Amino acid sequence: METNLVIEGLKFMILGMGTVLVFLVVLIALMNLQQKIIERFFPEPKGAPAPSTPTAPTGQQKDNKKTVAAISAAIMHHNKV
Amino acid sequence: MKLFLLSIISVFMLMTSAHAGGHAASEPLSVHQEEDYEAKGMGEMLGNFFASTGIVALMSPDENELSAHGEPMSDFHKGWGRIIMILITFLLFWLAIKKGFEPLLLLPIGFGGLLANIPIAGISGPDGFLGVLYEAGLANQLFPILIFMGVGAMTDFGPLLANPKTALLGGAAQFGIFGTLVGAVALSEYTTLFDFTIKQASAISIIGGADGPTSIFIASALAPELLGAIAVASYSYMAMVPIIQPPIMKALTTDAERKIKMVTLRQVSRLEKLVFPIMVLTLAILVLPEATPLIGAFMFGNFLKVSGVVDRLSDTMENALINIITIFLGLAVGSKLSADQFLVADTLAILALGIVAFSAGTAAGVIMAKIMNMFPGTKVNPLIGSAGVSAVPMAARVSNKVGMEYDRSNILLMHAMGPNVAGVIGSAVAAGVLLSIFS
Repeated sequence: METNLVIEGLKFMILGMGTVLVFLVVLIALMNLQQKIIERFFPEPKGAPAPSTPTAPTGQQKDNKKTVAAISAAIMHHNKV
Repeated sequence: MKLFLLSIISVFMLMTSAHAGGHAASEPLSVHQEEDYEAKGMGEMLGNFFASTGIVALMSPDENELSAHGEPMSDFHKGWGRIIMILITFLLFWLAIKKGFEPLLLLPIGFGGLLANIPIAGISGPDGFLGVLYEAGLANQLFPILIFMGVGAMTDFGPLLANPKTALLGGAAQFGIFGTLVGAVALSEYTTLFDFTIKQASAISIIGGADGPTSIFIASALAPELLGAIAVASYSYMAMVPIIQPPIMKALTTDAERKIKMVTLRQVSRLEKLVFPIMVLTLAILVLPEATPLIGAFMFGNFLKVSGVVDRLSDTMENALINIITIFLGLAVGSKLSADQFLVADTLAILALGIVAFSAGTAAGVIMAKIMNMFPGTKVNPLIGSAGVSAVPMAARVSNKVGMEYDRSNILLMHAMGPNVAGVIGSAVAAGVLLSIFS
């Protein structure tokens, strides 16, 4: 018996769309679950959103202090001379 | 004047005699290197040279010339066909440069096509550099996988994680693939319009996923003989997203729906982004191992990016690596634009089925969004449904642009990125299903 390709195509469609949608529905469920778990047990530390922001100014401040020290030393040296 | 001619002739004779003398002197030393080269008259040489020019090769093709596959070609494919194909590549250049359609892809593909249609040189043959590139990366599906890696490193799953249900839109848009598959098979079965096998029909319909690398991946696995036309169709429709999609989106939505404002997306934590690629890959391993080459490479790129500790690697993937592979992939796809493979009736059928698949995918995404709005919960603007076809990020930009046409303050871009990246996952899953059916 010759296979009816159209019926085959319809089977492909049911299997294919079914798999894609089930895959994504499971994925959606997992994403929602993951969000709840992470918010519950691993909350983002509030108030320190990016650790790089506070460190950058401190480094700059240190540099500023060094510069101030260097300048004052230069002024003192100049005054002595 | 006479003196001049005389001197030229004498110089010429001197050279030939010197050459003959040199040859005679070196004869005892190099017996094995003796070639069966016979002295030719100048007229004969000129005649032979003329016969080897491109003009002659195009106008009166060599009867014994074989195609890149070593099969005989018709005179049309050797002569006018090549000229037509070269003009088509000029059209691709124009589209890329003047119209700005996906120049990153169309230029390498177009130039590859130009080189592939040169007679005699055999650039796309087994020993030509395009042929070598094709064997190195397309025939074995390497390049599409590497492209996926780079795309993964460029992708931000944040918008999808912030609004997970939009993933459904990316799933619905895959209807373009399977709807066209049924259509193509039905037309092959009941009409004489096409004559595709079910494998070929599957490879063609994946164009509806609007994902170039996936199309190439599937075509080289299921119907390598159609790869050139499928790749060209797939990439040209991706380039034409801004033209194809808006009329469909507008036809299927009401004015009120187009003005729906979506709630601002929440902030997604880094840990969520880090877990997500592993989660998708795990799911793919459990459900559909056939899809894991694509999804695995995609998630590898993304995982490296979100890990934040290997910026050097993720930076290479999303810039240098993907650029290099794009050049190779484009040229290798272009090598399939040779007249004997492209100027056949199948190509027109593939181009036609491709645009049907693409439009059906767009429509299915929009309709899915309308269905979702029938259920209680936050409303979805149906315009982002069209972004479910995976062409990232063009489809999302189109959703945004059409939304702005109706309400200047309605920024849909980030909302549309959710279905857009879900569409990439969706078409990779669809590809895996097709592969698993035929394996």
